[in-house]
Formats: sequence, C-alpha cells, structure tokens
Amino acid sequence: MTTLTNPNYPTKRRSRFLLEPLLGGSAQLAIHVILIIIGIVYVFPFIWTLGSAFKTSTEFFSLGLTPFPAGGWQVSNFVKAWEGAKFSRYFLNTVFVSVMTTFFVVIITSMAAFGLARLKIPGKNLVLGAIALTFFLPRGYTILPVFQIVKGLGLLNTLWAIILTGTAGNLLINTLLFYGYMQAVPSEIEEAAVMDGATVLQRYLRVVLPLTGPVMATVSLFTFMNSWNDFFTPLVFTLGRPELQTLAVGIYSFVGDTSRDWTALCAAATISIVPVVLVFLVLQRYFIEGFAGAVKS
Amino acid sequence: MAKPNLLKIPVQKSAANPAMPRTRPIWSLRRSEIVWGYLFMIPFVVLVCVFTLYPILGSLRITLYNWNGLDNPTQFVGLRHFAEVAKDPYFWNAFKNTVVYTAVLVPVQLTLALLLALVLNNAKMRFRTFYRTVYFLPVVTSLAIGAIAVRLMLGRGGAQISELFGIDPPISPIASPQFALPSVILFGIWHSFGINLVYFLAALQTVPEELYDAAKVDGANGNQRLLYITLPTIRPLATIIVFFAILGSLQVFEQSFVLTGGGPFFASEVVSGYIYSYAFGGSAVGRSVSSVNIGYASAASLFMSLVVLGITIIQAVVLRRTRKA
Repeated sequence: MTTLTNPNYPTKRRSRFLLEPLLGGSAQLAIHVILIIIGIVYVFPFIWTLGSAFKTSTEFFSLGLTPFPAGGWQVSNFVKAWEGAKFSRYFLNTVFVSVMTTFFVVIITSMAAFGLARLKIPGKNLVLGAIALTFFLPRGYTILPVFQIVKGLGLLNTLWAIILTGTAGNLLINTLLFYGYMQAVPSEIEEAAVMDGATVLQRYLRVVLPLTGPVMATVSLFTFMNSWNDFFTPLVFTLGRPELQTLAVGIYSFVGDTSRDWTALCAAATISIVPVVLVFLVLQRYFIEGFAGAVKS
Repeated sequence: MAKPNLLKIPVQKSAANPAMPRTRPIWSLRRSEIVWGYLFMIPFVVLVCVFTLYPILGSLRITLYNWNGLDNPTQFVGLRHFAEVAKDPYFWNAFKNTVVYTAVLVPVQLTLALLLALVLNNAKMRFRTFYRTVYFLPVVTSLAIGAIAVRLMLGRGGAQISELFGIDPPISPIASPQFALPSVILFGIWHSFGINLVYFLAALQTVPEELYDAAKVDGANGNQRLLYITLPTIRPLATIIVFFAILGSLQVFEQSFVLTGGGPFFASEVVSGYIYSYAFGGSAVGRSVSSVNIGYASAASLFMSLVVLGITIIQAVVLRRTRKA
C-alpha cells in the first residue's frame, strides 16, 4: 500500500500522541499484532464467502468456519449462480440501475449547483435554505407515497422506478458538494467566457463543469456505491417482479428460497462484492477524502 | 460570497467600443441568465418536491386512514393508529431494541474508532494506509450482502464459535434469544466502524501542529498533549460525528432485517423492521400481521420520526452550545 500523495493528508513524520513513548520497537510490534488479528477477523466474512464459493455442497457443511475448500476449487458454483440462478440478469440490472442513477445525479446536481453558485437568480437563498431544512425533516416511511407516485407515473414494474427513486434520494447532499466546489471556482474564468459571448449553457458545459473534476469523481463514486449497494428501494419495487431484482435483493430472496444452493449463493455474493471492492481499492483516495470532506463541511 | 458583477463587464466594453458586435443589452443578458438559472434548477426542484417533500407530507395524511395500499384510502380513522401504536407491546419491544442498539453501538464504536485514529495518526506507526483500508472495507460493501455473508458464516460456524467461548450446548448466535441482538449490534459496529475512523482521522488533521510544538516546549508529555490539546480541539467535530452516529443508528434496518429477520421471537426486531412488516407484510418476521395496513405503518413511522426529530433538536442545541464554548 503506498502512502497518500494528497497534500491535505500530511505524510511527514510527526510524533503526536499518547502512545508516543510506546511506539518504539516492541510496543509498536504489539500494536501491530493486535491490529492484524482484529484485521483478519474484520475481513474474515469476505474471505469465508469467497472461499465458500469454491467449496462443494458437502464441504460447505462439513468445513464450518474453515474458509477454503479442502479438495478441488469448484468454479462450477459461479456458473450455476450466473446462469442457473439468473444472477447474470441481476448483475445487468444492478449495472444498469447504478450507471443510470449516477448519470442522472451528476447531471441534475451539477446543473442545480451551477444555477445556485454561478448565476444571479432571485430566490437563491430560499432554495439553499430549503435544502438545509429538508435534511432535518423526518424521513420515516416516505417510500409508501413514493410507491404511489411511481405507480401514477406508470413506472411500476420497470427498473426506472428504482432509478428515479434512487436519483431523488441522492440529490440533496451532492448538490451541496457541487455547490461548495463551484463557488470556489474563480469568477475571472467565467467572465472571460462571458466577454467572448458564451451563452449560459456554454459556460456550464465548457467552462465550469470541466473544472469540477475532483468533486464530480466524489459524487459519482458515492452515488454509484450507494446505488450498487442499495437494498431497501429495489426490495420494495421488485416485490412483485423478481426478474427486476438487483444483486442485493436477488441474493436476499435466494436465501429465503426453498431450493437452497448455498455455495452458488456464496458465488453470487462474491460476484456482487468484488466490483465495488475493486473500485474502492483503486480509487480509495477519493472515497476517503469524500467521507472526510463530508464531516468537515 | 462576493463576486464581481459579471454583467457589467460586457457593458463597459461596449461603451468603450460601441461597434463591438456580440454584446447584447444588459437587460437581455440578465433576463436570459435568470431564465437559464431557473431552467437549470427545474429537474432538481421537481424531483425533490415530488420524491422528498410531497411524500413527507403525503405520509402525514395516510396516518389518518386505514389503507391496504391497493385502492384509495377511504376509511378515515383519525388518530386511532397513534393510540394503537402507543399501546402495542411489539412496537415498544422494537423501540427498546432500537434504543439498546444505539446506546451500545455509538459509545463502543466511537471510542474504538477514536483510539485507532489516534494510533494511525501517529507518523511513527507503519502500514497506516493498509490498516485504514482493511478497517474501511466493510463500509463500501452492501449492508444486505454483508449481513447475508455473516449469517451464513455464523450458521455454519456456530458450533466452533460456541466451543471457542465454552458455550455448551452449542448455539448459533443469531438464532439464540440472548445473542441475537448483540450479534446485530456487533455486525453494526463492524460495518460502519470505518466511516467513523475516517471521520476521526479527518478531525485529527485539523489540530494545528504549532500547538503540539508549543506544548512540547512547555514540557507537556504525550498524555497531557492528548488531554489538553487534541481532545479539546477536535471536540466540535467529534460532536458532529456523535450526532451522525446516533441518527444513523436509530434508523437501523438491514442489520436486523437481513441478519436475524428480527428474530427469534422479536428478540432483535427494530422499529424499521416493525414498520416494514405492517407496510409490506410480515412474513420475514413471523408476527401474524393479518393484513397490510399502510396507514398504521405510516403512523408508527411518524411516531418514530418525531422521536428522532426530538433527539435531533436536543443534539442541535448541544452542538450549538459546544460551538460557543
């Protein structure tokens, strides 16, 4: 694991805390031992699921907590999950829902934030105030009226029901993230464009939006992750239509099924976890900074 | 934020050079900016109104009706649902479990997260990024799938775990009345620990290095620096972290719904699961909900929302006070 290169995350050597006298030699070793043992427990559910995806059904029952198969590695579990248990369908549903939701959230929140941060419009503070207030309104079970609205729009029993609801659910915080970032873009750049006769649309598309790269990365990552992992919205909207289920819901209803193929289930869980974990490992800087930024603002 | 008036610049330019072709009159520019500004916000405003604000108001009305979710709600019952919620021992059982979940998870998780953040914030510590990655990993994975993985694992490993802790006869922790709720809590701590670790790491980064240098000059030792510099400096951010943790914990759903199904015998049922069973049918929980009643579910939901709102207000007051201090 490489150290971070981000200037906000100092890597220069500092001695800081209570454990300072302890951190020499053997004490640091003790801390490492503790952290590694807990760390193994931490990732164990993933390792066990991954390993169980390669077990035979007999091994699954006989091996208990032993993570890896004793005999050969059964790749056939993945084939069974992918083809037999329709997880290819769930996977495609999940990809479609997550990509579309992320696309809409980025477009809609960046547009709204552009209007709020870069254009002089009356009522701007009213909108900002309303956003802040909405955060603190009790959410409760608004899924029930939402269900009726989606039904009224004729979108029930389509993936668009999940996309639309998911998009709406990710708007507030991400608009604020874009808003904060766009406010900090120097106005000189945009003035130059105005002088050249750029239209508002051109200012948004060609001037401001290309400058928001980092925040766009954060917004996309968070929305994609939320959407990929979301359980409740797709659960509610696919109660009557199993073929529209996403991975999380598909796996959940698989557990409840009577014909249980546990090793195939572990394979399916692996299929659904691996993409997100890979994205996280590659782009973890943006994840961590995004979370850290959320608490600071 | 003060910004120079974008609109004046082309006007000045055209005054200096009246022949400049592309400059439009200021009123047209300003008007087009306003029109465009609203156009840009339309999708956002429409979606928030339709999918966030209206549903909040809509669910208020539903609480006053009996409604199976299929036809239009017709049978007006007034506030009777609220009275029923307040009388239902199952609701209070779920409420108690939710409060216990929060009351155990928040202090345990945050204390551990702060401790680990202090350790990982020390530059002498090696493999800091590695540990951070490992402990953050559950955060990026789906709660539901994580819960299923843990459920399968505990189901298979119950005997081994019982042996490890000397429990005889062997039990499966998630199927035992005593250990179901603790399992849900432990799972909750596991899944969201990394978020609070990263929050605390971010908070620790806000402590100015100069303070430590000054303290060192004054002869403060490591513990004194922790007590008199680090903790007081991060206190405002720490309060916000606690705030988020409490709000998130009170909304616990998948941790119980998927891991234990709220069972056995409602031993680990939380309020969201209780509401779900009335809104969408209670097969997962096992309480015989004779018919779906969304009006009743909404009333229970509003009841809980008001509790959460009350806690939010109390916290906001505390937050404001600590900020002033």
